[in-house]
Amino acid sequence: MPSKAIKTFITPLGKENPVFVQILGICSTLAVTNKFENTLVMVIGVIFTTTLSSFTFSLLRKIIPSRIRMMVETLIIATFVIIVDIALRAYMPEVWQQLGPYVGLIITNCIVMGRLEAFASSNPPGLSLIDGLGSGIGYAYVLLIIAFFRELLGSGTIWGISVFGDWWTNWAIMIMPPGAFFMLAIFIWVVKGRAAE
Amino acid sequence: MKKEGFYFERIRPVVVMIIITVVCIGLVSGIYLSTKKLVTENEDLVFRKAVLYAAGISVPESNVEINSLYDERVTEKDSLYIVKDTAGEVMALAFIVSGPGLWGDIEAVTAFDKTLEKFSGVEFTSQNETPGLGARITESWFKEQLRGKSTPLIMLPEGTRSDNVNEIDAITGATRTSDYVLAILNDAGVRAASLSRDN
Repeated sequence: MPSKAIKTFITPLGKENPVFVQILGICSTLAVTNKFENTLVMVIGVIFTTTLSSFTFSLLRKIIPSRIRMMVETLIIATFVIIVDIALRAYMPEVWQQLGPYVGLIITNCIVMGRLEAFASSNPPGLSLIDGLGSGIGYAYVLLIIAFFRELLGSGTIWGISVFGDWWTNWAIMIMPPGAFFMLAIFIWVVKGRAAE
Repeated sequence: MKKEGFYFERIRPVVVMIIITVVCIGLVSGIYLSTKKLVTENEDLVFRKAVLYAAGISVPESNVEINSLYDERVTEKDSLYIVKDTAGEVMALAFIVSGPGLWGDIEAVTAFDKTLEKFSGVEFTSQNETPGLGARITESWFKEQLRGKSTPLIMLPEGTRSDNVNEIDAITGATRTSDYVLAILNDAGVRAASLSRDN
């Protein structure tokens, strides 16, 4: 059992990574990665949502009739996302304002619903929780790496603190949407190139 | 047997769905209501800080101090915020202005000195401009350069730092945001001029 739990946790980090293997959750990967701080808050929100919604759905999986399964999934995800949204609004209003609609859009993040459908609907709660956590972290570290390079090259800063100083000319493209496509593509290229060797 | 089949096929899913929905709504509403006060306070605080900043008063760190300073120095009259100095004399008049931006509306608090001719300052309270480009309107140098300027404003390339009262710097790489902000600021000037005629 523990080895199965470890495997469940590790798989979404690399071999079945939701972002660079399954290419899920791309909307938010492209949208929120232009500042490291915003990205961190966003991925914490996603980890919270995938973990708890996987757990909750798995608990309820035997009493939910299969024909309303997807409605219940959406409802559970939406509940957790709105909790994140309200919490940010109350305790981190400045970050909430910067993230704008993207917190609410966690609801439509394919990773969350994908894990509920593929895993939590047929596995026990404990294992589903680990799977949700693993998927969330698998998503999180990819976004953080992309955000790190985008903010560094695009604004010359990390966490809003100047790294390069005045001589650095900001690559404006990196903080605009096309920059996200370039960074994600480079990331996937590097990772898959290494995997192929 | 048939009845049970009907129950399982039609009734049970509906009942389960209703129960889950009620539980979820209950949970979300509970959390919403318990944080509602905090959320409104946050919104008020953002606005109060903006008014003080625009009027040129240095904004204290703690929320309690901000609120007491605001209560002491600012009086609200219609949609106008009258800011007094420590001696109780009117030092600035602030009001909310808004207009379109590149991705969404830009809302700002602008303050004018008591003659209603010169800007005391500006603070942007809501904007969705491109981070790192248009969103640099919220950077301190951009807002600070407006103090003491007067409309009609024109914009010069970033880094010019003109001493002329009608000239401010634009933001490189954010031409359209700069244009929208310029329009908003000039509108504010027109409104200030009309206030000055009324009184």
